[in-house]
Amino acid sequence: MRFSLNFIQEFLRVDVSPKELASLLTMAGMEVECLEKQATDWIFDIEVTTNRYDWLSMLGIAREIAVVLGKKLKVDYPSPVKKPSLSTRDIVIEDKRDCPYYIGRRIEGIKVSSPKSWLQERILNCGLTSVNDIVDITNYSMLKWGNPLHAFDADRLEGNIYIRRAKKNELLVGIDGKERILTKENLVISDSKKVIALAGIIGGKNTEVTETTKNIFLEAAVFSPLTVRRSRRAAGLDTESSYRFERVVPSHLLEYASYEAAKLITEVSGGKNKGYKVAGKKPQLEKKSIMISLNSLSNYLGLVPLKSKVKKILQNLDFKVKDLSKDKMIVSPSRSRFDVKREVDVYEEFSRIYGYDKIPSEIPFLKRNLAISDQTAQYYFKGELANFVALLGFKEIITYSLEEKEQLKIEDNGVIELINPLRSQENALRSNLFFGMAKSLKYNLNRASMGTGNRGDLHLFEIADIYSKTSKGFSETSTLALSISGKKRDFFFLKGAIEKILNFLNLDNFEFKEEALNNFTNSLRINVGNCNLGFLGKLNQQQKNNFDLKEDLFFAQLDLSSVVKNRGQKKYKSFSSFPAIWRDISISVKKSIKFKEIEKIIKADNRYLASLAIIDIYEGKDIPQGHRAFTLRIFYQSGERTLTSNEVDCFHNQIRESLNKQEDLSLR
Amino acid sequence: MENEIKRLEEEFQKDFQEIKSSKDLEALRIKYLGRKSAFMQLFSRIPTLAKEEKGIWGKKLNTFKNKITSLLESKAGQGENNEEKIDLTAPSVSREEGSRHVLSTVSKEICSIFERLGFITIEGKEIEEEWYNFEALNIPSEHPSREDFDTFYLDIGEKDKGKYLLRSHTSPSQIRVMKESKPPLAVISPGRVYRPDEVDATHSFMFHQIEGFAVAKDMNFAHLKGVLLHFVREFFSTGVELRFRPHFFPFTEPSVEVDISCFICKNKKVEDSKKKCSVCKGKGWLEILGCGMIHPKVLKACGIDFKKYKGFAFGMGVERIAMLKYGINDIRLFYENDVRFLKQFSL
Repeated sequence: MRFSLNFIQEFLRVDVSPKELASLLTMAGMEVECLEKQATDWIFDIEVTTNRYDWLSMLGIAREIAVVLGKKLKVDYPSPVKKPSLSTRDIVIEDKRDCPYYIGRRIEGIKVSSPKSWLQERILNCGLTSVNDIVDITNYSMLKWGNPLHAFDADRLEGNIYIRRAKKNELLVGIDGKERILTKENLVISDSKKVIALAGIIGGKNTEVTETTKNIFLEAAVFSPLTVRRSRRAAGLDTESSYRFERVVPSHLLEYASYEAAKLITEVSGGKNKGYKVAGKKPQLEKKSIMISLNSLSNYLGLVPLKSKVKKILQNLDFKVKDLSKDKMIVSPSRSRFDVKREVDVYEEFSRIYGYDKIPSEIPFLKRNLAISDQTAQYYFKGELANFVALLGFKEIITYSLEEKEQLKIEDNGVIELINPLRSQENALRSNLFFGMAKSLKYNLNRASMGTGNRGDLHLFEIADIYSKTSKGFSETSTLALSISGKKRDFFFLKGAIEKILNFLNLDNFEFKEEALNNFTNSLRINVGNCNLGFLGKLNQQQKNNFDLKEDLFFAQLDLSSVVKNRGQKKYKSFSSFPAIWRDISISVKKSIKFKEIEKIIKADNRYLASLAIIDIYEGKDIPQGHRAFTLRIFYQSGERTLTSNEVDCFHNQIRESLNKQEDLSLR
Repeated sequence: MENEIKRLEEEFQKDFQEIKSSKDLEALRIKYLGRKSAFMQLFSRIPTLAKEEKGIWGKKLNTFKNKITSLLESKAGQGENNEEKIDLTAPSVSREEGSRHVLSTVSKEICSIFERLGFITIEGKEIEEEWYNFEALNIPSEHPSREDFDTFYLDIGEKDKGKYLLRSHTSPSQIRVMKESKPPLAVISPGRVYRPDEVDATHSFMFHQIEGFAVAKDMNFAHLKGVLLHFVREFFSTGVELRFRPHFFPFTEPSVEVDISCFICKNKKVEDSKKKCSVCKGKGWLEILGCGMIHPKVLKACGIDFKKYKGFAFGMGVERIAMLKYGINDIRLFYENDVRFLKQFSL
């Protein structure tokens, strides 16, 4: 909202510099976002918070300025003349809840011309557009008092004035030239034949004041905030007028606004006041009496102010203050302050004028209910896990939780859609972390951002929630995603990372199980018993093409809620203090035999078998077609003594023999 | 035996002169002291000797061994001189470290500072019910104050249409904790939030917030000030000051916006456009968070007796704070995940 300093000076002499004023207002809660000089005037652009309806008028702003300057505001209210009574038409309100109060005035014999310069300056400097002197006067009045007015060309009105809900499919062409089809949501002003305005929002073209207008009908009214809000939403527009009605207009000033506008019109454009009529009743503003206690105020703010100081500030705000006792006072806020209802509202009024900088700063000794301490586990778990994954050389990324539903739906039919998406690219909640990962990867590959130093290897991870509809409603699950890509990395690097992570979480009894998954070739499920923890796999060619990726991408996802359920306690495991002895073994195996089967044979007798490592895998020359050769190193160790060479040879020979018995496997 | 030792020594001296590299040195060690060396064979004969001879020959063999060993060792350092010289100005081998995202580290750092004061960290959920996101926070439907909080609504089922949404702030976490647990409470709650804002350099439809609140019988505004002052001084710099500007939030009363004195230009309000601080634009102050005393209606909605208990609450945007602290000028950098960005904030 913009206001002009010259306009304010109609109410109050301001004797500080505009800059100083801007800073005083900002520190009292009326944030001046921009201050600029305009000829002899200063324009203040302020933020009007939704509680301060009263700042939507120059009077309200002037009152605030008086407070920050420590001045008393004296307003010369006009004395409305309510004669002669309008006899030519009736004003009929259909429902007083939509419109409790309506004042009509008829002015005859005017001559519409371009606006006077002083009037135009007021209008333009407050950010409105100047139209003609009649329209400008109604806007001037709105700016001054906060009550929007509307002038109709009285000669184009037929019969009575009705304030009623629109009938279905009634039409109105607004003064903006747009035709709108109305519904029952719209409150309208009509005459006996046609709709002439969307009440509190915009006037109709059919009764607009033009250069040829001679007689006018001037409307001043109070419309229900909620009705105007719904009506303007249904009509799809937002005006200076509707903005004010939606936030409550000062009905106690309506008579002044109506009379002063009519008076100005006759002064500026000639003409005579020829009729006044009221429908409904001026809303009775409830008299609020709020009891406050100095003691409670001190306890609330952590500051002990003088009672006289409190009273002075409140009285400056135009609040009435009555002493009840040494501690207690009755405060009656000014009529324009609809937002001050409770003790704490009064505390705020006091403290914002008193100055928050005068309240001391103190660190409290914080107590807390012991019962909430166990709700922190999830947060700390995720932090620890993320640090560990970073330790493994992965970089954490953060990607958007919103995705395109068509893309997600291929995977999952429980996708949660947005009712009001911003764009179709982000119209659903993601049910996996894959697409964000793939997009980040592609972004980096396209920009060659990894540089030349690291051969294009990229290891990324994200911990975020994924969402899905379920039979019970929906789920939101913390999830870890890992990906690796680059020439030097393969599936087993990622598999190794998963093993490390699960070991870190003391989850020892997990198993990998081959399972075909959409979008992946060579994919494994990760299970603990019957519980599925997640999967890993290599992105298939189709998806690689889809993301235009040249390098292989390996991706894994772990459901952290399942992981947490299955994680064990960390416990020290003792290890042998006697040396280990190793023996190598070379075998050639048909490719159909899985490594796991070989491992099983070797580990059949595990009394002294400490560990097993693959030293080399080889295919090609000297190896039969369809076979591959392994060189394995087997470590033998005892927890009780040093094994002798002979013993180890003996165990090792047993393994050689049992391997030799296998079909499609030969010792080399 | 005497002669054999002597011969070995002579042979060794000859070989020793010819050493050219550390490889030769090692070969020599194996030849003369290895398991199958002549020396070891001599050594293995000791048990067969007469008792008084054992000692003598044992000593002699050990002297021989020590001599060879020390000669070999003396050569060991010099051996390097014969190694091929390499170009030490060649670039180093790059090692890619893992890293945490800057929003994660900033968020954690902020939470930790409050944890040290006695707050504990509890996360809420992102899919939230309308009541927790709005009504309980004194933002009734059809109220103009709701317009400050544009929100994504979710289609979860016909029956619940309009009930579920993506939280537009972290304040519903405050409601959930207050509703489920009795005061006293001191909680900090970080997380993702969503608002339908077009993406540009300063806006994003997804961003991160941190909510904090404390409720107890004796909580007051001075405590709020103390806690926040401690936070900014620990997080930004010990010299910073706070400025409390009155504002409006439906869920607090009084409501305040908090600025910190610019830690770049040290609050020098330079107006000359050439010398203006680029961070605070010469204003000297930077807005960093919103806060206030929890509105009695909010306490009441959570079943807390507002006549007995008082509380304060504050909320801040993690992106904004990270941008200020590290001079990051575009919010999109946080979600593009360019490795050149990620690697600047490793842990």
